Amino acid sequence: MLIGRREGTVGVILLLALFAGCGSETSSPPTAVASSLAGTDANNDGVRDDVETYIDTAYPVPANVDTNKALRQYAKAAQSSILDADDAAKSITHVTERFRALECLMARRPTDFHPVFVELRARMLDTNPRSEAYLKADSQAAAVNIPLLPADQWVGACI
Amino acid sequence: MNRVSLKLSLLAALVLWTTPSWGQFSPQAACQNGAAPRTSIYYVNGVTTTLDEARLNGGKLEMEFLTRLPAMPANIQSSCYLFFLNYNPTSGAVKDFTEAGQQRLGINPSDMWRKLETFVSLGPTMVSLLQGPMTQTNQIDQAAVQRHANAYRAQLTPPLCRRVVVVPHSQGNLYANAAYDAAVGPSPAPAPAAGALKIVGVATPDTLVKGNGRYRTSTGDLLIGAIDVLLPATLDANTNWGPNPILTSFTPLYSGGHSFMGYLSFDDSRNQILSDIQSSLSEVNAVAVCP
Repeated sequence: MLIGRREGTVGVILLLALFAGCGSETSSPPTAVASSLAGTDANNDGVRDDVETYIDTAYPVPANVDTNKALRQYAKAAQSSILDADDAAKSITHVTERFRALECLMARRPTDFHPVFVELRARMLDTNPRSEAYLKADSQAAAVNIPLLPADQWVGACI
Repeated sequence: MNRVSLKLSLLAALVLWTTPSWGQFSPQAACQNGAAPRTSIYYVNGVTTTLDEARLNGGKLEMEFLTRLPAMPANIQSSCYLFFLNYNPTSGAVKDFTEAGQQRLGINPSDMWRKLETFVSLGPTMVSLLQGPMTQTNQIDQAAVQRHANAYRAQLTPPLCRRVVVVPHSQGNLYANAAYDAAVGPSPAPAPAAGALKIVGVATPDTLVKGNGRYRTSTGDLLIGAIDVLLPATLDANTNWGPNPILTSFTPLYSGGHSFMGYLSFDDSRNQILSDIQSSLSEVNAVAVCP
């Protein structure tokens, strides 16, 4: 472990340097409505407008239509999780929907689904209330055995 | 190209460089045969892993395993492998962690989520939050342990009669070890066949792997390294993420060297974990379940 520990110390220094270069990537302060738990969803499609803008900008259609749709599927399920976090039964339903969306994402982006997911979720959980609601929804479903689809059926999870 | 897009592009390039390309997965041939034996592979998550990340980690394990399966011996390919998640509830720990991260490091919620994997591994600032839950069995959720044990036992006994391999990550190793005895014990009847359950630990903070199981911990894993300083009986590091762990632990999403996704994205750790799973499958496949 001695070699690892010394390398680890250097790693921490490098990481701190990395963080210094990774400043906030958020835009100007949102309005009260935009920063509410629900945020704004002008077209009422279940995906917050700022999240929708991000998805369409980062993964424009038609070139990225499959990824775009998979991320919208996840964003809609996650938004439902946030809004229904106080309801145990709905939380379980929405976690199941999130699992199907993530299986779809893994089918569409098998080599980089993780960083794609991390960035989208970071965009969605941009306030403490939204983050807390997301975690509360998780806690509502944590003891439930939610079935997983096998890899050969992940494409079928795409809506 | 803005900064976020640039970072994503660089990260995607690195991931593509380190990860084999997958085609669309076909159904396993053995799974088309109703008479073929079934073997269950469980992923058990560590602390600060949300349900979404747990699903993705389990998916990553499944993809890597299925990619490797065609190169495995025929006796292993003759089984149908089913993948499951035994979730270790961590939402409370994530909440504490994100709050502490914001207070101590002054980072906004989005950036906290972006760097959650990294912060888990960052030295004394965060390790102090995790040391207890990561190493003390009296701080893990006993209801979850029992739930996990029941799930394994149900797989091992009639009517399912399946072999089981558990792949726990981080604190999940404590759950797997704690569930092991209850899963394979003599009561309630019927007792499972001896040796039909194996554990392959990843990034373990524990001092053993129950059932003579295997494990892999990276020399570049800052969190387990910090725990090892405090608790020297922690199992020693025995793998790495490439010839230079510093470079791979500098990868933004996987920095800190502790994430399950990283362990399965970089070699040698990926190859060695898959080899450990293969060896464990050979052992459980030799056991007659429900004789």
